[in-house]
Amino acid sequence: MIVSSLARALGAVVLAAAIVALVLLALGASPIGAFVALAEGAFGNWYALTDTVVKATPLVFTGLAISVSFSGALWNIGADGQLVAGAIAAGAIGPWLGGWPRPAAIAILLAAGAAGGALWGGICGWLRARRDTNEVISTIMMNFVAAQLLSWSVHGPLIEASRAYPASTPIAESAHMYMFFSPSRLNLGIVLAIALAVGCYLFLFKTAAGFELRAMGRNRRAATFFGIPTARLTILILTVSGAMAGIGGAVQVSAITHRLYEKMSPGWGFEAIAVALVARLNPIGIIFSSLLFGALDNGSQAVQRGQGVSAELVQVIQALVIIILLAFDTPMFDRLRNSLSAAARPVSRTTTTELSDA
Amino acid sequence: MLAARNITKRFGTTLALDRADFDAHPGEIHALVGENGAGKTTLMNVIAGRIRPEGGEASLDGVALPVGSALGALKAGIAVVNQSPMLFERMSWEENLAFGGFETGRFDLATVAANARRLAARLGFALPYPGTTIDERSMAERVRLEILRALSFEPRVLILDEPTSVLAPSELGAFLHLLRRLRAEGRIIVLITHKLSEALSVADRVTVLREGRVVERTRPAETSEAELARAMIGELPEPQTRAHLAGGDEVALTIENLSLQRDGHRILDRVTLSLRAGEIAGLAGVDGNGQSELVEILARALKADSGEIRMIAAGGDAALAVIPENRDLVGLILDMTLWENLMLSRPLRERATRRAWLDREHAIELCAGLLRRFGIRAPGPEISAAALSGGNRQRLEVARAIASDPRVIVAHNICRGLDLAGTAEVHRTLSEFAAAGGSVLLISSDLDELLEMCGRLFVISAGRIRETAVSERNAETLGMLMAGSWT
Repeated sequence: MIVSSLARALGAVVLAAAIVALVLLALGASPIGAFVALAEGAFGNWYALTDTVVKATPLVFTGLAISVSFSGALWNIGADGQLVAGAIAAGAIGPWLGGWPRPAAIAILLAAGAAGGALWGGICGWLRARRDTNEVISTIMMNFVAAQLLSWSVHGPLIEASRAYPASTPIAESAHMYMFFSPSRLNLGIVLAIALAVGCYLFLFKTAAGFELRAMGRNRRAATFFGIPTARLTILILTVSGAMAGIGGAVQVSAITHRLYEKMSPGWGFEAIAVALVARLNPIGIIFSSLLFGALDNGSQAVQRGQGVSAELVQVIQALVIIILLAFDTPMFDRLRNSLSAAARPVSRTTTTELSDA
Repeated sequence: MLAARNITKRFGTTLALDRADFDAHPGEIHALVGENGAGKTTLMNVIAGRIRPEGGEASLDGVALPVGSALGALKAGIAVVNQSPMLFERMSWEENLAFGGFETGRFDLATVAANARRLAARLGFALPYPGTTIDERSMAERVRLEILRALSFEPRVLILDEPTSVLAPSELGAFLHLLRRLRAEGRIIVLITHKLSEALSVADRVTVLREGRVVERTRPAETSEAELARAMIGELPEPQTRAHLAGGDEVALTIENLSLQRDGHRILDRVTLSLRAGEIAGLAGVDGNGQSELVEILARALKADSGEIRMIAAGGDAALAVIPENRDLVGLILDMTLWENLMLSRPLRERATRRAWLDREHAIELCAGLLRRFGIRAPGPEISAAALSGGNRQRLEVARAIASDPRVIVAHNICRGLDLAGTAEVHRTLSEFAAAGGSVLLISSDLDELLEMCGRLFVISAGRIRETAVSERNAETLGMLMAGSWT
């Protein structure tokens, strides 16, 4: 399953790249040059490679938040706000962790991030389950609340000592994330993200509760009929989703920024929707699609610098990848693929006929 | 004159209409009666151009009606009032009517409202305040708005599909009065219904459909409710005492005084019923008389306003297996695998769960065993339920219920759409289950099935349940009981 979705994603990337190449040609730029610059910017040297991983990390956390909630047909559009809420909680508690041993300080910081995100997601879960409020709207709205709360925090209660810049007091050094291969920005965050992805995979596909969630996602009516506690699951899953995105925010504070700024997220929570869809909601696949999107983000700067092609063109590639993947994910194409493979294998064709006759 | 000749229509292997003829004259209310699935709505859909028949033709005043074009039929003068009003809930009534023939082309709601008021006044009813949205209006008002919209096209023919099923009894008199007024205007009114008393009281002529065929054309003066019921239902198997299906004295499940209201309408009214160990009890009724809600309450997916359900049999609630009516939307999740569909059953899921982990191997083994035991034709447990034929889907549902090792099975319309062999197999499985001491409540709108399978037989109508005596188990009496002659 993972292999086939990886192959599909790569196929979509190639197709998207081909379309972009035509656009580049039409603009008079060299497609080869642009793609080489893109690849070099993303993987060309140690720094580029590690930074691709660093850029992918928040996408994994938010992608998992999307994956788990979308698996239950809970359309959480609020991963961005949940990440920001987690970052605010981490940034608020971070300066106070000076006296703690490093592992404990980091754990507390991440727990604070989880709590912040959980609150943001949980509110929407409760609204959906108990007040029948459309979670699409509530999660979107909570993004704005989180963004304004962040802005207010760094101008007001959390502002740094000199009160000159809209930024918070730095977190204690004991709460700084473990870094690898200095001076690269590679850190323990990606390891946590991968561990969390494995955990989400096991939950979704190996536990009874994960099964109940997927059943609810496929058919909420049937799930209710068979006694699956849909209301409780809704609250639980949006809370857990929020917590995962919140940890992503805390990791960002702990490893990269070390304090809060007015803008903590360039829109990871939204990019994560694309990341999760490209991975077809598979948590393991999300690791790879995050790396893909991280590489595109990272490489796009190099393209702009080296080739004079705007970085936005990379966003066009990202958008095309998503559109192509989704287009090939429709039942029509599934049927087409099935009938092609059935025609290739006479044995399976007889089985199909028998079934439809029975 | 509206005339349909030799209309034939198939849905898959089912012959929905078999060379059906139908006539209706101007200034006439013509009732089209029949059981669920007799083909009433299909016949009218053919006339209204919504369905393309395999054979036959329809004409109005000698002019052939366009085949398979709803717009063409509307232009030719045929308007339909749907079974459940198709209105936009969050829009005002004027906006809803603007979708009809009152629209002048400039989207002028004031003109629409004025025209609607004029027509409504002619028909003798009042319209709501300007600007009120549909979701605030009662069912009767919605039906009236839908009729108004249909009439805005100034149709020669007005087809009403079960309009009274959504009306409260108090709203009925005014509605029938409205129909008579429309008749007086010289229109052709076709009233689809399964309520015989209604057909007899308001119609000038009655056509009876059974299994896609016209079996009777008559006038109210020349017939009776009993005669129509027999024509509708056909010959029934001789009533037999099925003592072996009546079970012992041991009670397995009791339902006491279950009541449910929805939107001010009574859905279930003090339903009381007890099931004995070893019996197959039948619950007969026309669809939409509270059966679906009763099943949902038994499955604990819906809460009753009052009343109590008690499992007396060993095993408690886990020993009650419910097979819902709609296997594709509620009973199964089509894009999940067969073994995952088995795991929807809570007892099966709990048995396959080790701590929090779902034991996939166990579930797949269980599924493979059931596929063999119940002869379900599928390549294996890992394919999706959507790949199964209807009959095999139903076998899977029954297999799942039996596998959960219940003491009581509640099954709702489970043989609908199954062929004879499939039906016989499902029936045999249920009989074996009862013979082994289990209890079955078989809820169905198919009287043949119930009379063949059940010991005791209950009838549900308008949310109330009544047990039938052996002497009442004939087409006429059952037909009248199902049509609500006792409520």
